[in-house]
Amino acid sequence: MSDPLSELNPVTERRAIRVLRPDSPSEAVSLARRFKVPYMAGGTWLQPTHERDQCWPEKLVALNAAWPAFRGLEDDSRGLTVGALTSLSEMARHPLVREYLPPLALFLNRVAGPGVRALGTVGGNLAVGGDLSALAMALDVRVDVLNRTGERTLPLSRWLRERASDDLLRGFTIPDCRGWRISLEKLGYRERFSPTRATLVCVHDGDRVRLAVCGEGGLLRLVAPETFVNDRADLASGDVGAVIDRELAAHGWQDAHLRMALRRMTTGLLSEVALGT
Amino acid sequence: MTRQTQPEPCAPEHVTFELNGDVISQWVSPATTLLDILRGSGRITSARAGCRIGRCGACTVLLNGQAVPGCLVMAWQVSGCTVETAEGLAEASDFAQVRDALATESALQCGYCTPGVAVSLVSGLRQQQNGDVVDLEEAVAGNLCRCTGYGGLKRAIAVLTETSSET
Amino acid sequence: MELKPQPGMAETSVLERIEGRFGYATDQQHLPGLLHGAILRSRHAHARLLRVDTSRARLMSGVRAVVTAADVPGLNRLGIVVRDQPVLCEDRVRYEGDAIAAVAADTVEQARAALEVIDVDYAPLAVVDQAETAEQMSPLHGESNLLAREAFERGDTDAAFARCAVIVEHHYQTPRQMHAFMETEGGVAIPDNNGGVIFRVGCQSGHRDAEQLADILGLKPSQVTVEATPTGGAFGGKDELTIQPAAGILALQTGSPVLIHLDRFESCRTGIKRHPVSMIMTTGCDRQGRILAHRVDALLDTGAYASLGPAVLENFLDHATAPLYRIEAYSVSGRLVYTNNGVSGAFRGFGGNQATFAVESQLDALAEKLAMCPLALRRINLRTVDEPGSRGQVVRWSAPPTDVLAEAGASPLWAPAVSDARRRWLTGTGMAMGAQGNGLGDGLPDRGGGRVSLSAEGRIRLEFGFSDYGQNLAEAITCLVCETLGCVAGDIDVVLGNSRGPDSGPTSASRSSVLIHGVLADILPRWKDRVRDQAAVLTGLPCDQLYSGPGGLFAGGRQVLSYRELAEKGQPEQTRVDASQAFPVAPEGNQLVGRYLQLQIATVARVAVDRLTGRVRVTDLHHITAAGRVIYPPGYLGQIEGAAIMGLGMALSEDMPTRQGRYLADNLDQYIIPTLQDVPDQRVDVLDNTPTTDRFPVRGVGELGIEAVAPAICSAIEAATGIRVRHLPVDAGYLLAELCAQEETCS
Repeated sequence: MSDPLSELNPVTERRAIRVLRPDSPSEAVSLARRFKVPYMAGGTWLQPTHERDQCWPEKLVALNAAWPAFRGLEDDSRGLTVGALTSLSEMARHPLVREYLPPLALFLNRVAGPGVRALGTVGGNLAVGGDLSALAMALDVRVDVLNRTGERTLPLSRWLRERASDDLLRGFTIPDCRGWRISLEKLGYRERFSPTRATLVCVHDGDRVRLAVCGEGGLLRLVAPETFVNDRADLASGDVGAVIDRELAAHGWQDAHLRMALRRMTTGLLSEVALGT
Repeated sequence: MTRQTQPEPCAPEHVTFELNGDVISQWVSPATTLLDILRGSGRITSARAGCRIGRCGACTVLLNGQAVPGCLVMAWQVSGCTVETAEGLAEASDFAQVRDALATESALQCGYCTPGVAVSLVSGLRQQQNGDVVDLEEAVAGNLCRCTGYGGLKRAIAVLTETSSET
Repeated sequence: MELKPQPGMAETSVLERIEGRFGYATDQQHLPGLLHGAILRSRHAHARLLRVDTSRARLMSGVRAVVTAADVPGLNRLGIVVRDQPVLCEDRVRYEGDAIAAVAADTVEQARAALEVIDVDYAPLAVVDQAETAEQMSPLHGESNLLAREAFERGDTDAAFARCAVIVEHHYQTPRQMHAFMETEGGVAIPDNNGGVIFRVGCQSGHRDAEQLADILGLKPSQVTVEATPTGGAFGGKDELTIQPAAGILALQTGSPVLIHLDRFESCRTGIKRHPVSMIMTTGCDRQGRILAHRVDALLDTGAYASLGPAVLENFLDHATAPLYRIEAYSVSGRLVYTNNGVSGAFRGFGGNQATFAVESQLDALAEKLAMCPLALRRINLRTVDEPGSRGQVVRWSAPPTDVLAEAGASPLWAPAVSDARRRWLTGTGMAMGAQGNGLGDGLPDRGGGRVSLSAEGRIRLEFGFSDYGQNLAEAITCLVCETLGCVAGDIDVVLGNSRGPDSGPTSASRSSVLIHGVLADILPRWKDRVRDQAAVLTGLPCDQLYSGPGGLFAGGRQVLSYRELAEKGQPEQTRVDASQAFPVAPEGNQLVGRYLQLQIATVARVAVDRLTGRVRVTDLHHITAAGRVIYPPGYLGQIEGAAIMGLGMALSEDMPTRQGRYLADNLDQYIIPTLQDVPDQRVDVLDNTPTTDRFPVRGVGELGIEAVAPAICSAIEAATGIRVRHLPVDAGYLLAELCAQEETCS
């Protein structure tokens, strides 16, 4: 696969970057498509990346949180809809999060640092496979995406497989998960403000258990372990470990020790959701 | 990949924002960091380039009241905003409270990271005033300090927490 | 006695630091006519330089000067011990931080843009990236990549091993730790309009830097001034010259002040690190646990240039002899090799803490083999205060080592921790001890001076050459002066780190407090006499009735003359007293090995190890120090706590690995230092049995806190899990794999 930047004319200095500020989401899409340049939301991932290699896209398409439905949380019969440009700290503070995703507010303390959470967006976090992506994957969220062909709503997993560089994420909808048992855990390099080595999410929707992971080996819905667990009565069974290990290894999780940690973390989270604590 | 080694600067933009109560209005390239503007024409010294990638907290400032790393904010994003730094907050009573706690508990040694720490704490106290539950130790989790081992800072936070729960 | 937090001095400087108005070296962005400098670094870890063409760079807008090796006016070399590092490389680069050229321009962006168009042709050379095989590779310098080899021997080690009932042998590895001071290297060089240069740069030794800079710039020593500048952390990482040479050359070329401030990427790439040490340690004891024999074979990777490597090797070996313990025979040797893995040099602990990590781990290993309490094993081997040091030198402890051990044994942390409901976290407590000497040691020239005077404004001015990078030196000086003169903090001005002022020697080796105390004890009484004589003339009162106090001179409980009046009416310049003294060494003076003034610490750590992931949380640290008198309690506490957390980082997360001579981390998102949430509550107890008549009651504690933390943590991990980790930083994955293996064996 060729480097997406290779067709462009990258620049070495910030002062040479042009920041395009479209008036509307559709204009943003057409600019991104026309110039083959990335969107900028909070900029907390994009800037460190380019500051590191001192090689910037010559243009950035700035997204605007004031565009309708791009920011904030709302619930209706479909579930909880989150605007992609909602900051991580807004999300952590929001009363609807306490209602729908009780453990999330505290968990977000472990995502980046406070200043970065004030700038960084939930959409950006999803798009780069950050901590929230495992949660979104386990909850089967549907994303609301705009591109040149119009807008569509589709499952996150499908979007991640198919997405085009000009796809613009407006938000995502979490199904009504009130009453579900949700457990999540992050393994980083230190207690706070660490890139994730592995973030694991375990959800019990009242009927079935869902498992997803993101981190060093990439975002993954743990389908086989789910099947294994859901088809057995004993959720805390230790045997699920081998299934998890195979699944992770088959999907790019190379570090055997990290897989070992994930096996055990999964067993721990499974017993939490099984016990309802 | 071919790198354009002599980039032409793109057209500067006019950016106006409020810095510590003064209006700053200047022409600047839109992707310039707020940190560079502050340390340049803003003549601010309290915000410091410790990493330039938002991972050390030494450039923490209040942007519309929220503590953010100034190195991750671009010039075009601050138009119309209010920016407060340790210099501008020095007269505020909550900053004074933070300053006294930090000084009394010897929460600093070299002091290079300290203005950023103080700004994060002020932001935390203000969120508490707004009724949010904020753990002040979490509010400074993004401020790295290499001298103190955070012992004095933990003690200063204990003092601040005690004071704020009394009021 | 527990060192309780006490209110710190609300010095103006403290408030200025908090408000960001303190004026660090890199805050000088608005000097008139200021130019910005940038340095071109090597693209290769090891290469011949075939061609450096700066012609395009010179034509770039805003560029005022571009310099290469040919433009270095004097000696194109730097280095505290061995001047082997080119200021700007001539024909060869030896690490990826090596400097090739430097640019001064109107703005930073222009300077960096100019670097981009300097054309350099390299012919890559084989990269020496393994310390183990470095000596077989073609040499970076001279004849061999073996920079130094040193051995300390005592007794017949082979014979002693033959008599041991128990012998343990293990391999230990310590990480290449980065100082990660928050203010990266930087400052300004300002032409003085007289051919000379003034430097305001974050550094650790103004006088020594001025000497080196004069040689590099081809100036007379009198033409180079290093002015005191607040520095945002150093820890040894600013001991060598950093940006000064390039800034100085550019300032001379342009006639303008030049600011260079490395960004974090460049700082990580170029800055000095802690020596990684790989060592095999063999230790044996008799059936009662008396240590009879000890052997160490160590390899230190010093990187591309010598820097302070040879001195680090000496201090490493000194600590590898297990200075706290009585050992009949030892054979301790180490090799220091050149590689292309960056440069290693001075770092708080200075090789000592690497050795202590292994020594203390060995003691635990012996205790385990003997099924003996590790504290009991230590107790029977600890030296008494009357015994000589491990290298036969006379030493001076400020408390008996067994007292320190007893306090550690009484720590509340030995009580079992309350375990979590799910028993996910395995908890354990462990301890380690460490000894540390003050001063440069080993007979190296080691002197320091200071000065007291009455300023024209009537302030008592104290001047020392030490640099201030956050050690509370000014507060400590103020405390001592107030105590001796009876004055108050408001009467005193402390001036630090000016190369035109008194030479105190380097701000390193935990030597400042000792020399400050010694010099003040000399100069303050003399100053008091001179002031009293002048006051007697001015007031007509007899000399012996006058004494100094808050705000001025007193007689019979009443102030008779303020310091200000004295300065105005008397002859303040006549009050100036200078003194310089040798760093305290053994009185016999004939055993110039090791260090005379010895400090001890015992650190008790309690940890929780996650059964599910292998990650380690240190939940408590308790230190017992025996390091002489406490002058300024908040400063003492802060030094111990701060150093301990640096040790915690080294134990759990910090390392700068290399591949093909390139560092694999380049900023603080990849190089992981502790946040507030990673650190435990700490307690510090001070044992001080120093008699009031002791001539050296004050010791320097800047490095003591790091000494025993890593082995204490590993001892606690072993208590929690049964697994001993001997390679730092602790690899959570390794720990987890061992835990899993254990469970399988058990089930």
